[in-house]
Amino acid sequence: MYKLLLIFKYLRRKLAPLFAALAVTLCTAMVIIVISVMGGFLEMMKGAAKRLTGDVIIRADLTGFPDYKPMIEGLRKLPDVEAATPLLRSFALAKMAERVSPVEVLGIEPAGLEAVTGFRDTLHWSAKDVLDDLQSRMPPMDTLSAAQKARYEAAVKRIGEADFREYAMKLKPPSHWGDLPGAVPGIAVPPGARRDSKGNYSFNNSSVSTKITLTLMPLTRRGDVRGEPEYADFFVVNEFKSGLYDIDANRVYVPLEVLQAKLHMEAHAERDPETDKPTGKTISGRVTEVMIRAKPGADLHAVRESVEKYVQEFLMQRHEFPLIAVETWQERHGTFLGAVEKEKGLLTVLFGIVSIVAVAMIAVIFYMIVLEKTRDIGVLRALGASRAGIMSIFLGYGLAIGIVGAAMGLGLAASIVWNINEIQDKLFEWFGFKMWDPSIYYFDKIPSRLDHTEVTVIAILAVVSSVVGSAIPAFLAGRLDPVEALRYE
Amino acid sequence: MTDSPTPSNAKPQLAARGVHKTYRMGDADLHVLRGVDMSVRAGEWLAVLGASGSGKSTLLHLLGGLDRPEKGDVEFEGQPVFGKPWGELERYRSLRVGFVFQFYHLLPELSALENVLISAMVPSGVFGWGKVKKDARERATALLQRLGLGERFKHRPTRLSGGERQRVAIARALINRPAVLLADEPTGNPDAETGRQIIDVFRELHRGGQTIVMVTHDRTVAAAADRRLVLEAGRVKE
Repeated sequence: MYKLLLIFKYLRRKLAPLFAALAVTLCTAMVIIVISVMGGFLEMMKGAAKRLTGDVIIRADLTGFPDYKPMIEGLRKLPDVEAATPLLRSFALAKMAERVSPVEVLGIEPAGLEAVTGFRDTLHWSAKDVLDDLQSRMPPMDTLSAAQKARYEAAVKRIGEADFREYAMKLKPPSHWGDLPGAVPGIAVPPGARRDSKGNYSFNNSSVSTKITLTLMPLTRRGDVRGEPEYADFFVVNEFKSGLYDIDANRVYVPLEVLQAKLHMEAHAERDPETDKPTGKTISGRVTEVMIRAKPGADLHAVRESVEKYVQEFLMQRHEFPLIAVETWQERHGTFLGAVEKEKGLLTVLFGIVSIVAVAMIAVIFYMIVLEKTRDIGVLRALGASRAGIMSIFLGYGLAIGIVGAAMGLGLAASIVWNINEIQDKLFEWFGFKMWDPSIYYFDKIPSRLDHTEVTVIAILAVVSSVVGSAIPAFLAGRLDPVEALRYE
Repeated sequence: MTDSPTPSNAKPQLAARGVHKTYRMGDADLHVLRGVDMSVRAGEWLAVLGASGSGKSTLLHLLGGLDRPEKGDVEFEGQPVFGKPWGELERYRSLRVGFVFQFYHLLPELSALENVLISAMVPSGVFGWGKVKKDARERATALLQRLGLGERFKHRPTRLSGGERQRVAIARALINRPAVLLADEPTGNPDAETGRQIIDVFRELHRGGQTIVMVTHDRTVAAAADRRLVLEAGRVKE
């Protein structure tokens, strides 16, 4: 009982334990904040990767595979498959505003892609964005002439009626733009795309309603270049923002059937090679990928296995043997996500090593406390306290400081993690300092999330560290000779 | 009253039998006690006199089980104090003897009452404390009131005078009803008037049958005791 009384009194009366608890607090908070931000970063990356791939993907090389329509019909009947959509991947030179850059072109069926990956959510521009942008750039209304006002109001009305997301979902521009199919490039594809200091894109710099010309290189079924390049013009009907800069800066979505036609991969009537007359059979169009969305709660590895089995049987029946891989979204992005996961682990270990400083600090502070309390230790031994009893006072003291420090660290970390973007805004307002610059990093906000398991493990480790830090001074306190302790000046 | 190393007419309550104690001081050995024989009877008040460095405090530490002799033994009620199973020495220090130090040695974080109660907490353990808490609290309160500290229960040592602190230290030493009170220069620090008050407290305790071994260098203080024992250069002066 005397141990509890003394631990309680020592905790309340001394400045030294406050510093020890502060060391634990700061180290706990530091590790939790690092792991939460890195975890949030990883989670956003994973979310973006999943949005781009669906749950499971069937993938061939750029020459693609045929009969995808009956394959998808069959896939949809599998018990754990909710939706599937075809995809044709190729590469092209994109010409926009007289600038040419290489891009990855994906031929899609927008409704199918929406069902598998939530395509609509990645579409960036809505009529409201356009209106907000227009209004932000307008001079005050009272400075406008009547004619300017009329033009402005007409523009607002016209934009208000425009539904850029619907255009993108059909990959078809409004008829008054012209008779071309629609395309949706990534938001960072257009040459004028740049972010402001808050990480936002301006509609003024976007490519919506402008023309994009793709120069495509069709391949033979053997993978050789087939003659001359093909050119295809599109109107940009919207732009997408997936959350992964590399994708948003290099990808363009176009209608599947248009891309198939340009790459000579569309369905067509078979002709006799000798007579060049139609044989009456139809040769199926080709795609390079099929994306699959699993039913909620399904085990993705099990889904992948059942899809793989189905696809193999499907191809065997048709005597088709293209090189096809079936992967989950984690496997598809394994290298990229693995690198971020490793970085998270590495940072956690590094900050964990830094936290050893806290253990050393606690050891030093406790040693000072033991020195200060030497005579009290002598008195307690004279009153009958055992060596183990004295030791346990200081170990218990370390435990108490660990618990208090870890709890305060947890509170500090939670309040920082939950308000990290507001804190950053305040720091910027007061000191002009920006730790997360959205014009450099791709996410507008600092990502973060508190994981209960990670937080619990860190808090327990903090308490254990505190006890470890107090162990040597506690041992020395227990070993003190009572007579020498009583004589200590 | 006799001035002899061992009383002859009764069985001793606490005794030292030929104890030797040496301290290492740098490269040299300091032979502090050189075969001391002494004893104290139950209810007796023994004053141990001697000049500074004569080994008085060391003898008191050996009698209280705080230190071990290299040779010889200490006996309490005929039984050796050292060489007993683990925990017995701590029980001896906690329950059989009570220490009063020259510089009080109160724990600064605790109030006067807590300083007294902690002595009762040490032998009881976490679970045993619940059973004895009420009794210990009543006894501590009674002791402090008896020693004139009825209004000072909640005061911490820094807010008490030297005499008050020493009375709290005496209450702490007595809370477990020890057989022997071991006092190391109990009047050495307070002023003369306070010193007299402390001796009055000891006198009253002695009248109540308390065995006391008191180390002092002051012959006037020693005069209050039943018997005096003089140490000189680590030996009992014949």
